Amino acid sequence: MAGFLTSINEGAKLRVLAVQEYFGLAAKAIRFIVARPFYVGDVIQQMDAIGVQSLGIVLLTGFFTGMVLALQTSVQMAQFGATMYIGRLVTASMVRELGPVLAAILVAGRVGSGIAAQIGSMRVTEQIDALNTLGVDPIKKLVTPRLIAALIMLPVLTILSDTVGIGGGNVIATVYVGIPVGLYWRTVWEQIASGGFILHYIPSDFVQGLVKPFVFGGIIAVTGCFFGINTKGGTEGVGNATTRTVVVASVLILVVDYFLTQVLLFLFG
Amino acid sequence: MTDTPADDKGAPAPPTYGEQRRRVPEPEGEPRLRRAEDELRARFAEELQEGEETQDRVPSSREAIVELEHVSLAFDRPILEDVSLVVRRGETVVIAGESGTGKSTTLKLILRLLRPDSGRVIVDGEVINDVTYEEALIIRQKMGMVFQGAALFDSMSVFENVAFPLREHTQLTDDEIEARVREKLEFVDLDPDRVMGQLPAELSGGMKKRVGIARGMAANPAIMLYDEPTSGLDPLTTGTITRLIMKLQRELKVTSVVVSHDIRSAFRMATKIALLAERHIVFFGSPEDMTASQDRYVQDFLGGV
Repeated sequence: MAGFLTSINEGAKLRVLAVQEYFGLAAKAIRFIVARPFYVGDVIQQMDAIGVQSLGIVLLTGFFTGMVLALQTSVQMAQFGATMYIGRLVTASMVRELGPVLAAILVAGRVGSGIAAQIGSMRVTEQIDALNTLGVDPIKKLVTPRLIAALIMLPVLTILSDTVGIGGGNVIATVYVGIPVGLYWRTVWEQIASGGFILHYIPSDFVQGLVKPFVFGGIIAVTGCFFGINTKGGTEGVGNATTRTVVVASVLILVVDYFLTQVLLFLFG
Repeated sequence: MTDTPADDKGAPAPPTYGEQRRRVPEPEGEPRLRRAEDELRARFAEELQEGEETQDRVPSSREAIVELEHVSLAFDRPILEDVSLVVRRGETVVIAGESGTGKSTTLKLILRLLRPDSGRVIVDGEVINDVTYEEALIIRQKMGMVFQGAALFDSMSVFENVAFPLREHTQLTDDEIEARVREKLEFVDLDPDRVMGQLPAELSGGMKKRVGIARGMAANPAIMLYDEPTSGLDPLTTGTITRLIMKLQRELKVTSVVVSHDIRSAFRMATKIALLAERHIVFFGSPEDMTASQDRYVQDFLGGV
């Protein structure tokens, strides 16, 4: 019994320590954003890997998500004779929730795992030790550029995903339900404007829709780097690091999404 | 500061820690010992001669540049216990020993990648036990490290790898960096025009090691550290890498600490050899002292028994 309790105690300690290290890594990576030297080349390279190379998959899924949203709402709305509001529903769902979450989950799977695999391989082949011995902080060289790139590219990907999603909704609304294109886009704008504007020009829905991917980008980059840097046990360890990155990042995205939504609804209504 | 045994020339070397612990009565007396010594000398004659040539050209100054003073370190089990070691400027000290005896750990202590539980590690006159992480990064710039697997950055070309420490820590212009990279690649007998644009994955094991050495020496560090530089290489490439390490000492007067279990190469390049066994340094002295040592473990190690 005592042994069992001790093992629980040890396990709990290790988990608390891991959480502490996770936030320590995040804090250090954020601090390095404003510290010289700036690895601009690495940031651009990572923006390409995280953003440009994820574009196809994010646009494709965004488009089909918008279409399926329009299809489902058209069936429900038809019962009330309110199919003209399809645009509003598609927009609200895409901008506030589905656009950010779907893009983030996809990027977590595609990019987060890649980050963990790359940094994990560097760990097991002593490249991270090499950085240390060359007098370079691996967090500054490896984590911060990926964090900056993810913080910038996730909102960009989300905007594009939202746009093609609403476009996909337009295709279904016009072709399948018969709503004129002009009417559809007018309802889209009505939805965007309905939440009010911040600083007179920025729709509050946009702010809500862009705060989330910004946070999710940070989660993906830090999680991938965290498991990558802590890789142990050769190639098998690299495999474990990638799997854990996808699982932990996806769960964190969904959990944080809930709490973030609560906060944003409290702030912006 | 505590010097290690068998360090001063002239007087006969006092018994090492290992000799004190391990010396066993020799049943057949002196003649057998002398025979064994002669056999060892004969076996390593070529290496000793080459080593002597190297040392003749590089008179080691008496100034200590790396010191371990009564260092102990344990993780889940003790790794090093009361280890003392002095590396003087210009020397090549080989840390030899069986696998798992703490050789690479010693290098990590010198690099301040690890901190000893007790004792002091002194690099270039500075105690590095309690320096901060940022200070350790600066201290490491005095050292160049060559890893067992070369540890080249696989996303960067050979040129970018060798240029990396220069871009990080110097104000050299692009032209100056290219000139330096070419110089270092030529020093390690690689054709810059052929290899500079190649990725590490396109290189052979020996070439990777040579690029690793070029990267380690790019910023002209005072100390070079090598972790098993010849492991996994064929005999010819092993000879090439060993000659390179000697060339670095001879031509650039670089102090080297080499971790290796390749005793043949150690005899060729070492000013002194430290033999680690069971958490302790059981021998520390010149290759000649090593072959003359009456310590049973030293003899077993040299004989490969």
